[in-house]
Amino acid sequence: MKCELCHKADAETAIRREVGGELQELYVCQGCARQEAAAAAPPDVDAEQPVAGGMGTVPLMGMILDAAFEIVGRAMNRAEPACPACGILRHEYRKQSRLGCPACYEAFARELDAAIFDLHRARQHVGKVPQRAQALCQRRQLEARLAQAVKEQRYEEAIALRDELLRLPEPDAAKGGPA
Amino acid sequence: MMLTSEAQDAPRPALPEQAATIAMSCRVRLARNLAGERFPDWATERDRERVLNAVREALSAEAPELRVTPVAGVEEQDRDMLCESHLISKELLERAAGGGVAVAKDGSVCVMVNEEDHLRIQGFAQGLDVAGAWRRADALDTGLERHLAYAWSPRLGYLTACPSNVGTGLRAGVMLHLLGSSLLGEIEPVVRGLERMRLLVRGIGGEGSEAAGQIYQVSNMDTLGTDEAGIIRRVTRICSEVVRQEHNARVRLLQETPLVLVDCLARSLSVLQNARLLATAEALEFLSALRLGAAMGLCTRLKVSDVDALILMMQPGHLQKGLGTSLTSDERDEMRAEFLSRKVARVKLKC
Repeated sequence: MKCELCHKADAETAIRREVGGELQELYVCQGCARQEAAAAAPPDVDAEQPVAGGMGTVPLMGMILDAAFEIVGRAMNRAEPACPACGILRHEYRKQSRLGCPACYEAFARELDAAIFDLHRARQHVGKVPQRAQALCQRRQLEARLAQAVKEQRYEEAIALRDELLRLPEPDAAKGGPA
Repeated sequence: MMLTSEAQDAPRPALPEQAATIAMSCRVRLARNLAGERFPDWATERDRERVLNAVREALSAEAPELRVTPVAGVEEQDRDMLCESHLISKELLERAAGGGVAVAKDGSVCVMVNEEDHLRIQGFAQGLDVAGAWRRADALDTGLERHLAYAWSPRLGYLTACPSNVGTGLRAGVMLHLLGSSLLGEIEPVVRGLERMRLLVRGIGGEGSEAAGQIYQVSNMDTLGTDEAGIIRRVTRICSEVVRQEHNARVRLLQETPLVLVDCLARSLSVLQNARLLATAEALEFLSALRLGAAMGLCTRLKVSDVDALILMMQPGHLQKGLGTSLTSDERDEMRAEFLSRKVARVKLKC
């Protein structure tokens, strides 16, 4: 598995950092782990200062972070999210960099969306739509236009859009289209 | 020389005929999965068999000429040959249970079942005809979707086992022979330039492999956010620029350092004609040099297509199949040296 920060070196360790008020776990290389630790250290703490009392070269900041990660890690593992469809746990898919099933994209959407943006520099699919999903896409577009028309009190247009929606065939999820 | 910009939309003069062989071949792969099924890595054997049967039925209805063969049922030498021809991956071979393959007789399309994704639909073409390879894969994909319910979302497109393939699920790759740039010491800037433009650069064996013989696979990194036609255009445009640079490197090599070029060709030909033991990787290095010589018209009785055939035939699976027997690694090296020495015995350098 590649480092989730630089995407170049192999990931060798896990770090946790707060993003948008939520603690995220990332698998990173040693270089990025050191940079993250340095960035997390308060300016008045010398991370390389050996601990008094003969602890040798173990850095104080490293010990604090290790302890914090262990406590938070245990707490996170107890509530580790799982995909409701296939049961895969977050750490399991992260270890292999492969998801369990199509429903994992919804189950782990919060962290996957950031990773997907990092990988592709895009958030929205552009391109081929399977034949079976085209009706559903059309339905969604009409629904959005209907909501906008109602919001802007364009009632004649809204009625026309509603009628158009009613004429569409019912989506048949079991036969394909969106997972 | 460096690839400095991708703003190359302006029409460029046609590539010289000699440059046509620099792009060896191309492949477009579409990753697809079935809705409601676990991805192969996390699926049980029974799950994978169910997917294999569903794909088999869909193919028999849509493209009866493409018959799915379970990987477990393919003989070892045939499996190696499929792998060496880049039709299937080593990963598919390693996960035999539920894995399947269907190859068109002319080798223009191939479907892998239960590799990293449920389906890997691949189209192939010669040279830089990336659009042609895409059309083949896309036509089969459109046919199959009439019978199979793909995992797809309006926001993320085709859902794949690894998020690096999500969206179009399309990877368009071109195999490029860049020995001229390498001999001039210009390969690193080219590779760096390609990576800056978000293209993946790999060796001949795909992910994680070295560029043996200075043969590189260049493919798109992003699969989300650009439509299929846009990806195909971009890969074609950038690769044709690399081809142009390699052609220029070859011309400069001949004009500025002919001795370096001729020395490389003479040494390679000499080893191929006289060696008694040749491992695959070193044979590829020497054949690569000979390929350059043939492309530049510096060898007698040798065409680029002859060297391409030798590159395939000297690999372990093909070699053993040709001889009709199983060989140890040492025996293969001996047979390979004998085979190649026979094939290039009458080749001479013009310079």
